[in-house]
Amino acid sequence: MEHYLNKNIKEVILAFPETADILNEAGISCASCNVGTCRLKDVVDVHNLPLDEEQTLMTRIARVIYPDREAEVPRIKRKIPAAGGEIKYSPPLRNLVDEHTVIKRLLVLVPRILEDLDIARENDRKLVLDLIDFIRSYADRYHHAKEEDILFKVLDEDLEILKSMHEEHRAGRGHVQAVLDALEAGNNQEARDHLTAYGQLLTGHIKKEDEILYPWIDRNLSVSKVGVLFTRFTEIDKKFSDTASRQKEFIRSLEEIFNGEEVINNV
Amino acid sequence: MFNTCPGSKAADFRTKEVREDTPATKAGSQLRQWPVQLHLVSPVAPYYEGADVLLTADCVAYALGNFHADHLKDKSLAIACPKLDSGQEVYYEKIRSWIEDAKINTLTIMIMQVPCCSGLLKLAEKAARDADRKIPVRYSVVGVQGDILKEEWL
Repeated sequence: MEHYLNKNIKEVILAFPETADILNEAGISCASCNVGTCRLKDVVDVHNLPLDEEQTLMTRIARVIYPDREAEVPRIKRKIPAAGGEIKYSPPLRNLVDEHTVIKRLLVLVPRILEDLDIARENDRKLVLDLIDFIRSYADRYHHAKEEDILFKVLDEDLEILKSMHEEHRAGRGHVQAVLDALEAGNNQEARDHLTAYGQLLTGHIKKEDEILYPWIDRNLSVSKVGVLFTRFTEIDKKFSDTASRQKEFIRSLEEIFNGEEVINNV
Repeated sequence: MFNTCPGSKAADFRTKEVREDTPATKAGSQLRQWPVQLHLVSPVAPYYEGADVLLTADCVAYALGNFHADHLKDKSLAIACPKLDSGQEVYYEKIRSWIEDAKINTLTIMIMQVPCCSGLLKLAEKAARDADRKIPVRYSVVGVQGDILKEEWL
């Protein structure tokens, strides 16, 4: 079993497709991950299941891998046991979750914006360029820079889970560039497709970070590192204060136009 | 009459089974400064500059079996009793001064579970809220039998 615990999750699922369903039932949706290079044991650790649920999950996976014998299921070592209930973040990670809330306010509007989007119209072109300005200045340069330049660097950057987050950031940037290329080429459908793909990617990405990655990071950060992150994030907040205010105002104006307020409350 | 206050109500734990951990070597002290009482310390003493500061109620270190290794290690300390100490307005000023002048990195407050102890947390919370500079503040509530009952960031 130890052998498979150290294999990446895509390989395990490829060799034993039934494991995807077992993981899904435990709320671990690795089968749909674009990257899938996290090791099975890290996947189990990072999702921080209660110990009895973890044991049941691992036993079921072991039975799929070794159907002819009762394999020994090692306990995944964790620093701090799972805590149930509402997620409580440390202040720097709360700061990132709050920024996600702003980004989600845009993502929820994307389908409405796309309903009648035609980049042949000047106003629609401008709207798409404004969306891209938000994505690049707020979601990427401001928010993702905190993650990539500061948060991930205080951790072990070779961790597969961080590599997969980097990969999703890169994929997001790819969609944004593709939207710009579609604008340039006057290809309305391409622009719509990549905006849709960006929205879907970021929605899943944020959910993973809020519910899985950040709580796991919090469980592994020392008090001192929380202080260092908080100080550095505060510096970034000061530097990007005008950008953040301008982009929040942009989201508010979009919400007025597309009347998305009631949807936001359900995010 | 003495039993009306949970903070001074007598409790006898002598029948409790105590785990006798015997470390291979004698556990060393993690204390890296003197003095420690909040009235006696200067908030801008060098050992507070940029430090992770631990402010505990007096009783905490006696309740926790492994206080030095698990909680004091790598931190600068101050202790106080929110029930018995006088002049606590000075405490408020000193906590603010830690944050604004000594530019401490984090503040961790440890209190006992008894209701009167929450005064220390409230005092520190107010000082941190009023301070111009912001820092992460964490608190723990310690049970009278040495368990950590709650631990979270404010």
